Amino acid sequence: MSDDVLLRATDVVKSYSSRRRVKGLRSLNTAVNGVSLEVKRGETLGIVGESGCGKSTLARCLVQLLPVTSGHVEFNGVELTTLSRRQLRPHRRQMQLVFQDPYASLNPRRTVGDIVADPMRINKIGSDAEINARVRELFETVGLDPSALRRYPHEFSGGQRQRIGIARSLSLNPSLVVADEPVSALDVSVQAQVLNLMTDLQDEFKLTYLFIAHDLGVVRHVSDRVGVMYLGEIVELGEAELLYEKPLHPYTEALLSVVPELNDTDAPRRERIIISGDVPDPADRPTGCSFHPRCPAATDICTSEKPAFVELRPGRFVACHHPRNVDSIAPTS
Amino acid sequence: MSREDPPTNAVLSVRDLSVSFATRQGVVRAVDGLSFDVGAKEVLGIVGESGSGKSVAMYSMLGLVRDANVSISGSVRFEGREILGLSDTEMQSMRGGEVGMIFQDPMTALTPVYTVGWQIVEQLRAHSDMTKKAAYERATELLAEVGIPDPKSRVNHYPHEFSGGMRQRVVIAMALSCNPKLLIADEPTTALDVTTQAQILDLMGRLQATHGSSIVIITHDMGVIAEIAHRVVVMYAGRPAEIGPELDVVRSARHPYTWGLLGAVPRADIKTRRLVTIPGNAVSPLEVPTGCAFAPRCQYRMEICAQRPPLRGADDHLDACWLSDEQRLVIRSSATVRGES
Repeated sequence: MSDDVLLRATDVVKSYSSRRRVKGLRSLNTAVNGVSLEVKRGETLGIVGESGCGKSTLARCLVQLLPVTSGHVEFNGVELTTLSRRQLRPHRRQMQLVFQDPYASLNPRRTVGDIVADPMRINKIGSDAEINARVRELFETVGLDPSALRRYPHEFSGGQRQRIGIARSLSLNPSLVVADEPVSALDVSVQAQVLNLMTDLQDEFKLTYLFIAHDLGVVRHVSDRVGVMYLGEIVELGEAELLYEKPLHPYTEALLSVVPELNDTDAPRRERIIISGDVPDPADRPTGCSFHPRCPAATDICTSEKPAFVELRPGRFVACHHPRNVDSIAPTS
Repeated sequence: MSREDPPTNAVLSVRDLSVSFATRQGVVRAVDGLSFDVGAKEVLGIVGESGSGKSVAMYSMLGLVRDANVSISGSVRFEGREILGLSDTEMQSMRGGEVGMIFQDPMTALTPVYTVGWQIVEQLRAHSDMTKKAAYERATELLAEVGIPDPKSRVNHYPHEFSGGMRQRVVIAMALSCNPKLLIADEPTTALDVTTQAQILDLMGRLQATHGSSIVIITHDMGVIAEIAHRVVVMYAGRPAEIGPELDVVRSARHPYTWGLLGAVPRADIKTRRLVTIPGNAVSPLEVPTGCAFAPRCQYRMEICAQRPPLRGADDHLDACWLSDEQRLVIRSSATVRGES
């Protein structure tokens, strides 16, 4: 594994057996269906997708909060999927999470100071005095008043709670922070504060982010590279600006075309591509390409043959038989 | 979206609407001096963050705020008729009839124990003399009109058998069932994914054009406003901060709060560098300053901001801010308000 890759997932599958029967057979609900990706040191990899696409399940599989059904996850060059819980511990310290719901993710019965100190206590890092000093320092780092650390979560606003969640995630000096919809519960002005904070912290502590969100604007703003998920698969992955300007996958193209935009310039807006229907049941996947029933570009091959996830242009991966915008992107070599 | 019809005479006319709640901690002024008109076939957007009073304003107008400690004042005229203080029965015949409603969460707007057809029929029969059979036929037609595939069989399905987007279509079908003159939509797409949101906004735009209803859409998303609204009211702490045509407000916003709100949005269509933030948190509704409500968070605060600014401006673009036009020009040319630094 080259040094600049912090996390590598190879063909990760997570499926749940379901009691439902589809076409007479007990169905297998495949939430993550063969995802391969690399997260490079110091970058922000954004994962964007609609609800139910498997982005949160993928994140949980990557940090081993959920056992994978098959596939490999290497972190710092170490294969994690075969490790025991005890063996995982030292690696877990390096991977911390920030959750979506700032109300549900903080224990209401513990003071916020304790909440931020707990990871250090559990991992037996430092004396009480050292931990205390570190908690104060973390509070200042995330823009909270250290005098508030004896208060309880309910005394804080949503944005402040998310700052507490971020402080907790930083307490063990992790190298990877996995943020699962960290700002989707916040109002737009507070969301901007938290996003700016996360950007500043990344610079200050050389953090690597895996940033999961459904909001395409948020993901473009924070990410260096972006992966687009649909029905448990990454259908496109590439450098953020290029992916947003010249999407390769028809799903990405349609998704970007319907984001409501502010009419603040005279630039013509993208032509809206409204894809009909709903996301299929992951227990009853379409044959061939998962997106073909809703795809405006689908042809016969799309119903019969699953497109491979290939590097079509340097750094630009896509799983599609009929990628868009190919001619306007510089070819390989 | 259909935008060709400019507002003519007002369908809904709100003047100085105030809603306050007496609580143990003190009086909460949820809405404070809100005035606006909605023209025929016009789409008016009301935008604000949580707690800005945008939903309470609409609910109180429709008699849906049933709280012993509420006091509502001002005037709300629907087609020239005062509706504040109507009796429950009068209000009931108006709601769902001449005024349709779409709520954020379609699952709470539909009852899970009856089929969607039953629910539409109930509403149709409450507001007209239709026979059961005719009402069922009309319900099927309505489901077809909002783009539900196979409406003949879907009319007999229960809400849980529909996806979120399809449920919201059912709610829209119900809201439109009695050909309302006014449709009030409270965050109709907030619970939906972006592709589904696009389907629903597109549907609302088309239906608005064919039915000719006026729409009041309440949202926290300036992008949704830009997609569908002709005019916009920006609310902060229960008060209108700025009112004007959508393009004017987005392109030449006048109120510092609107500047912050626009600059804070991470964009999918262009590269944003650093987001503009509004310092601090939304003001507690118990402690709204007597002067400008936004002053404690405003970086352009002046002495005069201790007094409440009137809503004023030129033509139909109004704002409640003490800054002079010259001051605004200087501030806007510094470009920091749009995150272009």
